[in-house]
Amino acid sequence: MRLEPTELTPAETRLQQDVRDFLAERLPPGSPPAGLGMAARADPEFSRALGRRGWLGMALPREYGGGGRGAVERLIVVEELLAAGAPVGHHWVADRQSGPTIAANGTEEQKRYFLPRIASGELSFAIGMSEPEAGSDLASLRTRAKPVDGGWQVSGSKIWTTGADTATHILALVRTSSDRYAGLTQFVVDRHSQGLTVSPIPFIDGTRDFCELTFDNVFVPDSRRLGEVGRGWRQNTAELVLERGGVDRWMSLMPVLEHWAAHRWGRVPRWAEADLGSITARCWAFRGMSLSIARMVDAGRSPTVEAALVKEMATRFEQDCVEIVTRHFGRTPDLGSADPYESLLARAILVSPSWSIRGGTSEVLRNIIAKGLAKA
Amino acid sequence: MTTDSSLERLVSEFFAGSCPPEAVTRAEATGLDTRLWDAAEQLGFPLVGLDERRGGSGGSLSDLLVLLHVAGRHAAPLPLAETNLAAWLLHRAGRDAPSGPMTVVPGAERDTLTLREGVLSGVAHGVPWATGARRVVALLEDENGSLQVVSPALTELTIHKGSDLAGMSRDTLVARDVPVDAAPWTGTPDALFVRGALLRSAQMAGALEEILELTRDYVGQRTQFGRAIGSFQSVQQHVVTLAQASTMSSLAVRRAGHAAATGDASFEVCATKLVLNQQSALATRAAHQAHGAIGMTQEYRLQHFTRRLHGWRGEFGDEQGLALRIGAAVARRGGLARVITAPSATVGV
Repeated sequence: MRLEPTELTPAETRLQQDVRDFLAERLPPGSPPAGLGMAARADPEFSRALGRRGWLGMALPREYGGGGRGAVERLIVVEELLAAGAPVGHHWVADRQSGPTIAANGTEEQKRYFLPRIASGELSFAIGMSEPEAGSDLASLRTRAKPVDGGWQVSGSKIWTTGADTATHILALVRTSSDRYAGLTQFVVDRHSQGLTVSPIPFIDGTRDFCELTFDNVFVPDSRRLGEVGRGWRQNTAELVLERGGVDRWMSLMPVLEHWAAHRWGRVPRWAEADLGSITARCWAFRGMSLSIARMVDAGRSPTVEAALVKEMATRFEQDCVEIVTRHFGRTPDLGSADPYESLLARAILVSPSWSIRGGTSEVLRNIIAKGLAKA
Repeated sequence: MTTDSSLERLVSEFFAGSCPPEAVTRAEATGLDTRLWDAAEQLGFPLVGLDERRGGSGGSLSDLLVLLHVAGRHAAPLPLAETNLAAWLLHRAGRDAPSGPMTVVPGAERDTLTLREGVLSGVAHGVPWATGARRVVALLEDENGSLQVVSPALTELTIHKGSDLAGMSRDTLVARDVPVDAAPWTGTPDALFVRGALLRSAQMAGALEEILELTRDYVGQRTQFGRAIGSFQSVQQHVVTLAQASTMSSLAVRRAGHAAATGDASFEVCATKLVLNQQSALATRAAHQAHGAIGMTQEYRLQHFTRRLHGWRGEFGDEQGLALRIGAAVARRGGLARVITAPSATVGV
């Protein structure tokens, strides 16, 4: 497996500068970071401001309000947002995967309705995949949709869904027949549907974005079925490529790393500079891999194995970074500290185990990579 | 930028035919195989990427990196990188490169080699392939603090033979008042270090790719408990580690090569060598673990690559030195995000 090196074009470099200028104004130096990477807090107004500049739904087709641009341009925007610790929570899932999935599989009506609203930052999506008995073994999920007049009646539960409480829609993978893979179908479920209960599950750091969803005979119109009945597994697998391999898999801690490197916890001593250098070198290497994968996506390829390979090693690296920075911080950071960076580091200690679990556990990813290598 | 696959094929065919594992093993006992060297030289391999008007073979820096990558895949026991570095120094100093194997003084802290009034004296340590090479090129300060390139013939120096972890020659040179011709160097003092790190990295990436292939083949063939060991997930994990090391390393080398072709690539090259040093540590461990006892024997060829990787990790930049160098530059700038997203060859360290 080889990845091709790539550079930003002049137009892409201009985009990078535009995003930097926007962020310098919107989140001036001294603004506290909004969280750890993709887990940063939701700020619908911020997301709409990005939407107005054309920086959401960038890879969605123009005719549906998207940018008609590509994965590389989205990467450029995203890496600036994550470096700044921007509040990306509101649009994150919709921008990264629900939008592109709807664009690839949706009906004309679905595309006309959802895509412009995703690109403007109006809608917020959550992912309804895992269930109490179906985590890594996703195909064993049991939440069921049975056909009724005009649509489907969904019953069951989804769990460990980040942001479901504040999302406007859930993109759910649901069982429509007993066939393990061909019995799965995707639906776009309105968060406020009758019979859908969203209960926050306190996360390990005390936050309440993690949710359990109970579907009690929730009616979903057939017009909100995404793709053919029984195509859900395949659509979902393609969606996972978008979820892995991106810069978000190694940038969670970036605002804290920047703070450290800027000597805001005091001058970085000479002996600690080696760790800073080692982290920088690895970030550079990962950035090259993410960029290369984004180019492959733009070239119409589906680098499933490459994305898994990057995510598996990048999330371990992120976790190493937490260890290293904590060591240099010199004492146990306090979650309730008035210093937002200290608080963020404390949060990172608590939540970083989730980085190699969400979006496919490292164990599942290694199996995907091993199978991919065996075929190659 | 694309890999020149026809060059890669040509070089691969050459080494596959002329450099079997036995030749690698033999070189440990007998040193440089001059017939192998002559064959490689006839094809112009040692001087790829250097100006034809000065005796080079032409081609680009990426061509040279492809060549060295393939040489690394075959553990070629030839001073290709060393000769190329030596010739590159001479070219940059306005001299033609002679034919035949050459080497360079990498420069160690304990070196005492000095150039005073056109006379070379002192000791240089860790010189690869001094045994076998005809000429050694060094970048030294003269009595006025100006950088000079000197290139004495090895017959004028005393060689204390040594070997690296792969059994290749790695010698100590002693110069006792040797008059030399000096050519002024207008580049940076660490240009040799950076170029050397890039060329070593290309060899390392090749070796990493080869130990991935070796391990993949081995776990597919070796049977224990009634099935191929590669069917066990715990063994597959080692192959995954190797694939990650190889993929990350090969990409980094090509990016650094691209940067070096455009400007000051000191950041990209140092980052590459650092990442390759780290990945080599993980990969050699994974490859040996997957192979079990057979990989620990000299009869099996895994050791041709893992021993080289161990040695190369410490040449032209060890992990600590590179990390400190990059870290100091990042601390001066007060941030890393802009460093890693900068266009190639715009951040020096």
